[in-house]
Amino acid sequence: MAQDLSAWLIFFGALFMFIAALGVARMPDLFTRMHSSTKSATLGVGLIMLGAAFHFGEIGMTMRVIAIIVFVFLTAPVAAHMLGRAAYFAGVPLWEGTLSDALRGHYDRRTHRLISDEKVEENFPEGDIAV
Amino acid sequence: MILWLTIGLLVAAVLLCLYRVARGPSLPDRVVGLDLLASVTVGLIAVYAVLSGEIIYIDVATVLALIAFLGTVAFAYFIEKGGMPWRKT
Amino acid sequence: MSLFLTNILLALLWVSLSGNFSPANLLFGYLIGYLALFLSRRAFAPSNYFGVVERLVRFVFFFVWELILANLRVAYEVLTPRHNMHPRVIALPLQARTDFEISALAILISLTPGTLSLDVSADKKVLYIHAMFAEDEEAVRKDIQNNLEARLLAIWRQPPS
Repeated sequence: MAQDLSAWLIFFGALFMFIAALGVARMPDLFTRMHSSTKSATLGVGLIMLGAAFHFGEIGMTMRVIAIIVFVFLTAPVAAHMLGRAAYFAGVPLWEGTLSDALRGHYDRRTHRLISDEKVEENFPEGDIAV
Repeated sequence: MILWLTIGLLVAAVLLCLYRVARGPSLPDRVVGLDLLASVTVGLIAVYAVLSGEIIYIDVATVLALIAFLGTVAFAYFIEKGGMPWRKT
Repeated sequence: MSLFLTNILLALLWVSLSGNFSPANLLFGYLIGYLALFLSRRAFAPSNYFGVVERLVRFVFFFVWELILANLRVAYEVLTPRHNMHPRVIALPLQARTDFEISALAILISLTPGTLSLDVSADKKVLYIHAMFAEDEEAVRKDIQNNLEARLLAIWRQPPS
């Protein structure tokens, strides 16, 4: 029973990871790729680790697994935030299907401050593709 | 049996990540690929630990999960602080 | 806070008395301790501990449900050959004030598939998010403000009962 449960947890975790990887390979721009990689990957790691915990069924193991899951759930959004912000500064283009961009013009390019109420004069150049 | 299918799925995920790392087109795209690659590797090690019955491999997965985050953050910091010197600003 | 420590102590007592130190038994001990404290709540000074725990548990269930639904939606988007999404970068005015509230909200937004928090403005009033399914920008904003943010803030902002 516990073995079956652990096998299915691991299988669904792997399935989510596969979908995440497929999304990273298929999505049209960086931000949609990050959507796919942060969430499905966190869920995938969480499920696989839970499955492993059920498989071994030891107290030390369970504690380690809980620690990993909490750590991954806390750090993945932070990594996504830092990378997304850095990519925006580097001028990575958004997908052409993107309807609107509320961030455009709100970053001060020199000080890297984000000002919410007024637009900063210095704008990002359109279609600035980073290599 | 189902665990071998799982390994197959994860290896396919590794290949898709490698495709994104090779293809780019920008440095942050490659970093996203590498980040996901690390997560998939954590999953692979955990599945291998279950398959082989060796509990010690889970520690390896733990360490990798901790290190991978630092790598991504370091890359992001590098990109933000003018890390693309070959680009005209 | 002291009620929480008492509850933990009761859980540890239960574990040591029943002689089975497994996570499930620890959780069971915590539940029994919580029930005992809840039944004798009039013996203590008014505390928001019970309300916080109840709302926290409700929020966790709500969030897991949202997580599953949204994950399926993104999986569908990834697996179907054509792109049906309408991504936008949206400015979201914040109700959350303290650093802890803002970072908790940002992490939860990032974990919900379909939305990704990008940055907080320097004056901590606006959170910029990237949403994948945002044909109607106002609907996404309302959804996050009324569901996720309101429920999250209500956990510890309600007065003690």
